[in-house]
Formats: sequence, structure tokens, C-alpha cells
Amino acid sequence: MPIETIIGAWVATGLTLFIFSFLYKDNPLFKLAENLYVGVSVGYTIVKTYDTVIVHLIWTPIVKNGEWALLIPVSIGMLMLTRYVPKAAWLSRYAFAFIVGVGSGLAIPRVISSYILKQIEDTVRPLLVMVPGEGLSFTWNLLNPASSLNTIIILIGVSSVLFYFFFSVEHTGLGKVVARTGILFLMIAFGAAFGYTVMARMSLLIGRLTDLIEFTDLSYGRPSLWLLGLTILTLVVMSRRASHKPEEE
Amino acid sequence: MIFAERMLKIDRRIIFLVIGLCTLLPLLYPVGLPIKISPEVRGVYDYIESLPEGSVFLLSLDFDPASKPELHPQSISLLRHAFRKNLRVVAMTLWVSGTGMADQVVTQVAREMGKENGKDYVFLGWSPGGTAVIMNMGQDLYGAFPADYNGKPTKGLPVLQGIANLRDVTYAVSLGAGNPGVEAWYVFGKDKYKFELGGGCTGVMAPGLYPLLRSGQINGLIGGLRGAAEYETLIGQKGKAIAGMDAQSATHLAIIVLVILCNLFYFSLRRQSAQ
Repeated sequence: MPIETIIGAWVATGLTLFIFSFLYKDNPLFKLAENLYVGVSVGYTIVKTYDTVIVHLIWTPIVKNGEWALLIPVSIGMLMLTRYVPKAAWLSRYAFAFIVGVGSGLAIPRVISSYILKQIEDTVRPLLVMVPGEGLSFTWNLLNPASSLNTIIILIGVSSVLFYFFFSVEHTGLGKVVARTGILFLMIAFGAAFGYTVMARMSLLIGRLTDLIEFTDLSYGRPSLWLLGLTILTLVVMSRRASHKPEEE
Repeated sequence: MIFAERMLKIDRRIIFLVIGLCTLLPLLYPVGLPIKISPEVRGVYDYIESLPEGSVFLLSLDFDPASKPELHPQSISLLRHAFRKNLRVVAMTLWVSGTGMADQVVTQVAREMGKENGKDYVFLGWSPGGTAVIMNMGQDLYGAFPADYNGKPTKGLPVLQGIANLRDVTYAVSLGAGNPGVEAWYVFGKDKYKFELGGGCTGVMAPGLYPLLRSGQINGLIGGLRGAAEYETLIGQKGKAIAGMDAQSATHLAIIVLVILCNLFYFSLRRQSAQ
């Protein structure tokens, strides 16, 4: 096995166990792993961005290929950095205005089309479905998202939830019934989202434990077992020191 | 202190231990619970299965190592399926922090399936801009990615022959852990350039993408580790996702039992306080 794979296994195992040590209590091992995670992420991003953007998309095309037109977007980007110089900060407004203007112009029509118009179109589907050979029919299958019954449920859900967030009318009488229906749909939706979130977090734990189990193998040098022992020993020693300190004082 | 009160004030580290054991034991001693295939995962599988040889399959690996346990198995399964169907695979990423991992997974699966870089697949790497990259690719793929991840010029690569922009892509799948991800690919990609789009996502994002699935804006959705396990079952190759399903079921059962017990203790305590 390549040495870099073995070193990678030891580092990954160690950092995973240091992060898990937080479940016992906050400790310097956890802080070390946490700060390393943030530092390495930022460092990797900076290096990758520098290499891709500065070297390959700016320097090489301008200097080697003579694409001088790229100086225009480079200048706009540099204007944004004037934000850090109080006397010249007004120049950055031109750059922000350009970026916000172009971004809005590109994004707004697309977002309206995709998130609003298309979703409204799907919410107000016909309740009766044309079945070849049978004519119009009403489908009852709750498990089929395209069934007529589900179309009604979705229509009621969307309308009642939208009404719930409409505060210009007091939610009394019939309005209260509609708002309560909206709350019920919201609770079901949040419950489903929470369930999926729990599943996702458990999946992340499963992923880490799968790697820890793999790294108990002798080919890696059994880092999981050695580093687990080291982590537990460190926590015990730190715990003893913390309990002895008040006695010494 | 009565029993219900003691249970509600239990040290949370005991609960951590219970969850940890429920996850660890099924991984060490798997049971092999059956996996039912959902229509949303089958949507992606059936579409790839229907593609003729040589079709262009764009796979955007829009995640970083933080989402690796859920999306890495999805990417491996999709790549194996695409290579088995002899599709032309164009891989890329919109997340700078996931570039190295994306390159590693594409190279690993390609080597395993005997595919050649530049001829059967290409990894374009990362380009800055997020949604702007999608729009740029929609106009001119070679303008967005003048070179691949290894620095080879993209113009002239056999795998990209006949592809000028996103309109020439037969099927695209975005494996997204956030923004930019599946939604960005639909809004700035499929809605404008009219290629078919499927999605893969973390479990957290899945509920938010079901409206896109229902409306037909995406033709399939692989949600979380469970979705990856279903896809592994469909392609007939067991991987880390299937191996994790027993543990997933065990932890979910443990959490359901804990939630029920907590509610029982809470209402019992409330009734006793009222008396």
C-alpha cells in the first residue's frame, strides 16, 4: 500500500476521533481538529482559486495569448477591492452596480419562469384525466403523485398555506379553518424535512464509521485502534487534571 | 425524583452511545435487509438505460468532502452505469472545494471500467462563477472550459466531438449538496437549453426538490444514501451505500423508540404535575 494512503488513513482517523471526542466534552483535541478543518478548507480554496482564476483564466490568456479584452473584467474586479480603502470606496459602487445589474437581469426572468410559473402550472393541473379508451376519469391512487386525488390535496395545501401567511385579513371564522389547515400542511412538511435531515445526519455518521472500520485493518497499521486508545487516554488524563486543579489551589 | 423525570434528565452521552452502537453493530454484523426501489430513483436509472451508445452524459459533481458519505456512492453508481452503457461522460464540478475529490472518483471508476481519458470521458474540473458557468456552457462549452482538469485543450478531444454547447448534451445529472446544484442546473440550464435533467442530492435537500420532480422539471431524484443504495441495487453492484442501509434502519428505529419514550415520559410527568 502506498505510504501516502497509510498517512492519509492515520490523519483521517485521528481527526475523525478528535471531532467525536466533543461528544464526551469540549477539549483541545476537538479544537485542534475543528481549526484544522476550517484552515485546510480555506487554504485549499485559496490555492485552487488562485491557480484556476489568476493563472489559467487571467494571466495566461492575457500575457501568452494576447487577449487584452480580459483587462476590462479584471478592472471591474479590482474596483471592488477599493472597498477596503475608505477614500476610494466610492469606486466600488460601479463594480457592484454592474454585477448586481447583470446578475438580476440574468437571474430574475429565469427564476420567475422556473420557480413560480412552472410550479403554478403544476399546481393547477386538471382534476379529470383523459384515459385512452375510457374517456375522462378521476384517479384515486394516493401513492401516485400525478393522481387526481393528490392534485386536489396539493391545491388545498398550497392555497391554505398561502392564506396562512396572508396577515392583512384576520384569521377568524372560515379564515381560521383555512389557516389551521395551512398550519397542518406546514407541520407535515416540516416533519418530513426533519425526518430527511435525521436520515442525512445518520448517513454522515455511517460514512465515518465505515471508514473507521476499514482503517482497523493491519495493512493501514490499525490507526483506528491505536488512535482510539490515544484519544481515550488523553481525555482521561485531561479529566483527571481538571478534577485535581481545584484541590491544588 | 420519579422515574419519568429521571429519564427525561438522562445524560445525553448515554443517548450518543445508544445511537453509536445502533450504527456500529449493523456495520460489523450486516443483516441484509431488502431495499425497495422508489419511482424517483428508477426515473434516473431508466433514462440512462434508454440512452443509445455514444450519447453525451454530463455529470456535475456539485459537492465537497462534507457531503461525501451520501453523494460519493451516488457518483460511483452513476459513473459505473454510464460507462457500462458506453456513454460519452463529461464530468465537472461547480464547487471548488470538491474538485480534487471529483477528479479522484471519475479517474477511479474510469480505470475500473477500462475507459480512456479524452476518448471515453473527460473531467473538465472547476470554473468560477457557479450559475454563470452553466450559462457560459450553454453558449459555448469551450469558452467555459478551454482546457480540461489536466490542462489539455478541450477543443479537439474525441469525447467532445460534435458538442458545441449544452444543447448537445443528451442527459445531465447534477449531484448537489447545496447551491449551486440541481436547482441552478434547472433554472439556468435545462429551462433555457432544453436538455433532460436528473438530480442527486443529500437527504437534507431532498424534500425541497420533490416539487421539481413532481412538475417534471427533473425526471428523477436520487436522495441521500438511501437513493444511492437503490441505485446500486438497480445496477447490480453492491457498494458502500447498500452496506450502510442496515445501520440506517437500526438508527432510525432507535430514534423512533427514543422519541416515543420521551413523549410518554413527558405526558406522564405533565399528568402527575396536574394531579
